[in-house]
Amino acid sequence: MGLTDLLFFALSAVAIVSGWRVFATDSMVRASFLLLLSFVAVGLIIVMLAAPYIGVATVFMMAVEMMVMALFMVMFMMNPAGLNPMMMVHQHRFSIAAGVLAFAGLTAAILFTSFPENSVDPSTPVVHDLGIELLGPSMLIFETAGVTLLATMIGSVILSSRSGRFGMADQGSKPPGLEPDGEPAGRQPEQGGGHHHH
Amino acid sequence: MAVSALKRWAGKAPASVFVAIGEGMRERVERLFADPRIERAATPRHAAIFLIAGPMRLEDREDLRRLHDQMPHPRATLLWAAEVGEALGDAEKLNFTLQPADTSRADEAALDRLTRIWAELSDGERPSEPDLLHDEPPNPWQGIGPHGQGGKGMMGGTPYGRPMAMTADDLRDGLALDPYTARFGPFLPMFPPGLLLEMTLQGDVIQSAKVLRPPLPQAARDDASAALLRLARLLDLLGLPVLGHRARLAAAGDRPSSTLETLGRAIRWSGSTLAIRPGLGAVEGQGDLRTRFDDLLAVTGGSSAETRPELPESAHLSSLLPGLEWSEAMLVLNSFDDETLSALAVVKEDEDKDGHDHEGSGYMHHEHHGHGGHQGDGGHDHHAGHGGGA
Amino acid sequence: MTTFLAALLLILFLSVGFAGAAVADRAIPAFLAGQTAPSWRLSLADAVRLLQTQRIRTEAPDALLWWLAPALYLALAIVGLAVIPFGQDLVAIPSEVGIVVWGSCEALTIVAVFMFGWSANAPLALIGAYRYVAIGLPAMLLSMFVLIGAALPAESLGFIEIVEAQRTVWNVVRQPAGLILFLMLGLAISLRGPFDYASPEDLAGGVTADVSGPGLLAWKIARLTMLVSVSAVTATAFLGGYLGPILPGFVWLLLKTAVVLLVLIWAGSVFARMPPARMMSVIWTMLLPLSFLMLLVVGVELLLWG
Repeated sequence: MGLTDLLFFALSAVAIVSGWRVFATDSMVRASFLLLLSFVAVGLIIVMLAAPYIGVATVFMMAVEMMVMALFMVMFMMNPAGLNPMMMVHQHRFSIAAGVLAFAGLTAAILFTSFPENSVDPSTPVVHDLGIELLGPSMLIFETAGVTLLATMIGSVILSSRSGRFGMADQGSKPPGLEPDGEPAGRQPEQGGGHHHH
Repeated sequence: MAVSALKRWAGKAPASVFVAIGEGMRERVERLFADPRIERAATPRHAAIFLIAGPMRLEDREDLRRLHDQMPHPRATLLWAAEVGEALGDAEKLNFTLQPADTSRADEAALDRLTRIWAELSDGERPSEPDLLHDEPPNPWQGIGPHGQGGKGMMGGTPYGRPMAMTADDLRDGLALDPYTARFGPFLPMFPPGLLLEMTLQGDVIQSAKVLRPPLPQAARDDASAALLRLARLLDLLGLPVLGHRARLAAAGDRPSSTLETLGRAIRWSGSTLAIRPGLGAVEGQGDLRTRFDDLLAVTGGSSAETRPELPESAHLSSLLPGLEWSEAMLVLNSFDDETLSALAVVKEDEDKDGHDHEGSGYMHHEHHGHGGHQGDGGHDHHAGHGGGA
Repeated sequence: MTTFLAALLLILFLSVGFAGAAVADRAIPAFLAGQTAPSWRLSLADAVRLLQTQRIRTEAPDALLWWLAPALYLALAIVGLAVIPFGQDLVAIPSEVGIVVWGSCEALTIVAVFMFGWSANAPLALIGAYRYVAIGLPAMLLSMFVLIGAALPAESLGFIEIVEAQRTVWNVVRQPAGLILFLMLGLAISLRGPFDYASPEDLAGGVTADVSGPGLLAWKIARLTMLVSVSAVTATAFLGGYLGPILPGFVWLLLKTAVVLLVLIWAGSVFARMPPARMMSVIWTMLLPLSFLMLLVVGVELLLWG
């Protein structure tokens, strides 16, 4: 067993153990950091698989994502150091069944697939090739996905923000009429307006 | 020996002092820290010497004891013209009975005493002071509920007797975030000394503020030196300790107009005015923070501090602070002169009639949390072995 | 063999850079405050003082993360520096995606600072921590666009190619605004002056408010090391890195790093810090569009004359 194998097994162990601990910890911030650790280990394995860009980018993206996730959880549920322990898992039966099924499925997939054994030639410009692929033949797919995600994010922020185009959302923001002093333009909301407060 | 060599090294560092400022001592203490032999620590955690300067109120003594216990070992206390009874045990006292004209000699004596205490402390000659309070949580752990969280379901409960925060609507954008209610003061370094506020924060936006104890009265002087010190405080808060230090030096010593001019230019170039949002902390008759800052800045140009008209009756911190972010609020708190601030921070007795009774809205009062001029643990340290200095 | 030599050079670079940073960190503010230069012994004396101070535990902290955060911060500074070439093929961790590795170090630094503030279980430290994340994330985004602008002329994400592409003209000439934006990130990532939202005065030290003794010392060491690293990255991406006549590349890189480091310490002492919300809108509405524009300008320039 060479150094590479040892490194691979060590990283896999880190990824699996920290992935398990995500569900065993009692604080959500700790859970997201453990998940981050798991992803970092996976990212490093990807680097070992001769895909340096994808591996390092995984670490990069996961660091940012987990950070944002932890931040939002602190914002919405201030539990600064897990002072208030909480149960992090619910729907036990369903999740156990789903876990067993997924494990069985993936194991079967691994056992019954014959993996190709053409290792990458070290002199291949993998990053260069990946760039050509991303911005060449697959460009339309990636750009469409990117723009769609961006539009979704902007849309959700606009829909959920309090300050609207015609005033504060909870103070009856109504567009002006089409003619002076006329009925407000646009569709009239049903009773309630969606703001339930006390 | 390696250990004694290390001790000798430590003695060469400036003495790190956390200071609780009493009545009428603010400006003297701030001028004292222009000296490079001592260093003002931002929190008791960073300090070795606890300086209690000037007369204190009876109700502040408990907070002083808590602050004392928050300091790491080795630690020592110096009572400088302070009257605190037996609250601090048999801490070292330094009194002055000098005439007001002799303040510089009294200040020099205080400096000498502080450096000597630090020399003895770092040498190990002076034993570190023991705790004044018992080191135990203010409330027992309450393990109610299916997961020991002290409450029902995923949220709620009162671990260590402190209710967990629940969500409530934010003032600014209506996002339902956690409110966090705690007492801040009375010796928080960025607060006016003696001011104790009970504030509800969401993130760092202040949702409500209530004055529990007013700031301690300071020598009400209205000269250039006082204005420079006030400017220095604002500069510190704006992340410009270097310029703040220069302003303090100018306030402490004589002020050739050329020094003041270069200081004024440096402050203008730092973008301080741009950093402050226009309209922030506006009070009728007092302008906003920007105009108050510009007035202080004008003092470096040689003009005298402008006198402002009387405050309107309704102006009070409880209406001025809510809606501001923490850092903006700190700037606003430090932008008034002592007299105006005392008028703004009057304790209102009656406003709490209905305020204490809103369990429904999810506000929780952390009666013991953050008390004692500092954060976190209310003065109950768990000593993790590692006794320093010995 | 070259990797071994590069690792030795890395250690040398770190120690020299760190010592210089520790002295300059005290000397420049003292100079700007109009005081006599403090003795170099002061930094050491302060370190010894902190080492001999008791380490305080707050009530119910996350002890593991609290201990781990400074170590992670320091490790990230070292890894970030390890992808910087000291010569044409003198690099401790050769990576063809150097700037992405550096970007990960930036992102994980934000995580480390958050961990440090969060695990103390104290309100002011926590406020400092999430305030820093709010400013640090967009600042990091900014730096990535700037770095892509530096990588465009090299047509590579590796630092060696980026340096080699600067043989004709340094990147600072191509995108001077990019250098300034990157220096802002340098301030943010080394928790300094106008971008120090993690440990500001108005939070009584923010993330460090409840840290004493050795923990505080470790944090300060990590902060200074990150300052050295970010200066070296700036020198490599914008000032031609190891390129230079006569002297060996290592010395050139050291000199350029020193210049950037001094500029950073100076800028950290003379510019005011905006309240976070104001800084946030400045970053999102002014600086980010500016970085897009810089990227566009470099791209058009390369298309026309590249």
